Amino acid sequence: MVLLPDESRSLPPPPLLNKGTLWFGFSGWLAALLDNAFNQRPVLRAGIHRQVLLASLGCFVGYQLVKRAEYVHAKVDRELLEYIRHHPVDFHTGEG
Amino acid sequence: MAAGLRAVRRWGLAVAAAPPRLAFTRSASVVKKANNDQPNWLGVGMAFGTSAALWGFLIKEHAEDEIEYERRKRERRHKSEGCS
Repeated sequence: MVLLPDESRSLPPPPLLNKGTLWFGFSGWLAALLDNAFNQRPVLRAGIHRQVLLASLGCFVGYQLVKRAEYVHAKVDRELLEYIRHHPVDFHTGEG
Repeated sequence: MAAGLRAVRRWGLAVAAAPPRLAFTRSASVVKKANNDQPNWLGVGMAFGTSAALWGFLIKEHAEDEIEYERRKRERRHKSEGCS
């Protein structure tokens, strides 16, 4: 099962700054801070390269996951609307 | 995870006396005390290099996705209006 099938490219790409990027980037940064804490280093000032790397990795993973989530939601929406289109009788809103 | 284990070993040695060893156990692992006085320049370079590569790839991927999306949108509009 591929993470992002080709038809997912027909969707507008999410902005680079989005919930997933922010959250996963933050959690990556937090992991670096925790690593500093567990190794008895100054939490914020030590290992800047580690903080940057893990935050970047988090942003990257977050972006891919947001793309995947948007694809799955769009697919479900499409199937739902197709179903509604094929079964108009079930969806009459009681007019007439 | 190794850091956590290191910390536990540190506390274990400080709190309880070392238990008498009845059997000699062999281990292949060697533990060095981390030296944080000097920067590990190789590690720093690799970390920053990887970060730059990741961001470059991410920004490139985003730009390519935008172009591909616009292209497919135009194609869909072109097809729906009837290929002329």
